Amino acid sequence: MRSVVALLRAAWLTAASYRVAMLLSFAALLASIVPLWFVAGALQPVVAESIAQEGGQYFGFLLVGVAATYLLSSATAAIPSALAGSIGSGTFEALLVTRTPLPLLLAGMAAYPLTQSVLRALVLLAGAAVAGVPIAWSSMPLAAAIAAVMLLAYLGVGLVAGALVLVFRTSGPLTTAVIALSGLLGGVYYSVRVIPSWLQDLSGAIPLTYALRAARMLLLGGAAPGEVLADLGMLALLAATALAIGTLAFGAALRHARRAGTLSQY
Amino acid sequence: MIVRAEGLTKRFPVRRGWGETLRAPFGGRRAVAVDTVTFAVAEGEIFGLLGQNGAGKTTLFKMLATLILADAGHAEVGGHDVANAPEAVRRLLAPVLANERSLYWRLPADENLRLYAALQGLHGAAARAEVARVLAVTGLADTGGKLVGAFSSGMRQRLLIARALLGRPRVLLLDEPTRSLDPISARDFRRFLRETVVRAEGCTVLLATHDADEVWELCDRVAVLERGRLLATDATPVLRDRAGTDRYRLWVRAEDGAAATARAAGVGVALARRGATVEAGWDEYVGEVPGGAEAAARLLAALAAAEVRVARCERAAPTLADLIERVLATAGGRDA
Repeated sequence: MRSVVALLRAAWLTAASYRVAMLLSFAALLASIVPLWFVAGALQPVVAESIAQEGGQYFGFLLVGVAATYLLSSATAAIPSALAGSIGSGTFEALLVTRTPLPLLLAGMAAYPLTQSVLRALVLLAGAAVAGVPIAWSSMPLAAAIAAVMLLAYLGVGLVAGALVLVFRTSGPLTTAVIALSGLLGGVYYSVRVIPSWLQDLSGAIPLTYALRAARMLLLGGAAPGEVLADLGMLALLAATALAIGTLAFGAALRHARRAGTLSQY
Repeated sequence: MIVRAEGLTKRFPVRRGWGETLRAPFGGRRAVAVDTVTFAVAEGEIFGLLGQNGAGKTTLFKMLATLILADAGHAEVGGHDVANAPEAVRRLLAPVLANERSLYWRLPADENLRLYAALQGLHGAAARAEVARVLAVTGLADTGGKLVGAFSSGMRQRLLIARALLGRPRVLLLDEPTRSLDPISARDFRRFLRETVVRAEGCTVLLATHDADEVWELCDRVAVLERGRLLATDATPVLRDRAGTDRYRLWVRAEDGAAATARAAGVGVALARRGATVEAGWDEYVGEVPGGAEAAARLLAALAAAEVRVARCERAAPTLADLIERVLATAGGRDA
């Protein structure tokens, strides 16, 4: 685990050396809450009924959705982006010849973007609280566990994308498609109950659907833990499947790259 | 023997055009990068792999470093098979990747090393002590807090070595370490390699280079690679003598140049002025002197008789091209 922390620290120190970029990024995050506030206010009467189970307040509903999008985007893109960058700079080879096992190296390479997205999500939730959205903070530990399982599910997708980077030097449209589809069908901006029934079937295959519904019910709707167990179970099943596929794909891609001698080719 | 390679072979697919790929998606040629290479390196040796660009040196190193899997043959480091026990090999062997971009340029040198110390399993006080040690060993102790981006190429090269020395590996792989260094930095670096890395740190060094002079100066034994094949392996002085040429270099007083050329021609030697003045008032001349030392002595006597002032006369060390040419010309191009 110390290897992961060391990689996280190095990434943080590198990012912190670009001070203006870091400050602007934080300012942009805070500024992004303002339009959401006005949009939520305008649409509140229209969507209130469809999100009654999740607290009925569209601003909170929207912020939790956007926070989850940050998390899934970084979980999906962290590994392929870090791999592409480190292969390009030659860092990947240098990391591979150390004594740290590959899974820990990958975790370390993905640690900074994941931590950053968690912090951004927390800032959004804090923004919601400041704006008067009633958040059940007592349910936060379970909501955090749900977020962690969702991250694992999308890290599985990230591993598949990483495998594509190792073999083809691009993950193609995979990460963009997964993020966009999750956003559209997972209920980020609206409840999945309002989309056509045939699309609802598709949304059943998306981890975000279960994670968002459970997190919103807990944090905004005041649901008891027992009410979200079914969603959590389904989410865990999807995460296990995605991680297994991702691990197999990444292992095969690494073996291919070692055979083909392409690990360090830009 | 700490490193042993037997019959190592690697072929890479040759990149094809779109048309050819569409006509035969699963076909295609494979180019041989390393062809049944066998050698062994003893502990404490500096072993040179000498070859032109594309000879297979880097591929060979990457196979030893567990980054590329061999198609055939096998290699061992400290008795551990590189394909079956890569983790054990990584504990013993450290490649010094020549890529300066693999450093974190926005971080100070000591932060770079602290990261890699952690990745090598060193933490807390042990990591701090090891970082301080390798910074001192590589002569970077005073610049540990300086950003890598502000380092010169030579300092970055040293930092790459410092990074590789973390965790005290027994074998270092150096791939053209002086490629981006100026001549003075390269000379200093060679001294550092011989006196510090090998003598003080006790590392075995495998050095890949296309610079024959570097091999003559540094290596105990040398292997010559040409298009993936190992042409010869021998002790450096033996191979150097075997590939020795009859080319001599002379420093001649500038105003005596014409007389020197004429006198040399009289004893059958074609002397030619080479490049710029080597030192104020002195020019370098090069000529083939068939007949070795005796003939060279006759040439010098003739020049002295004509009062040509000669400050230096030495047999030129064979270049890589000389070496490959000679080795190919003898014994069918192969040696044990």
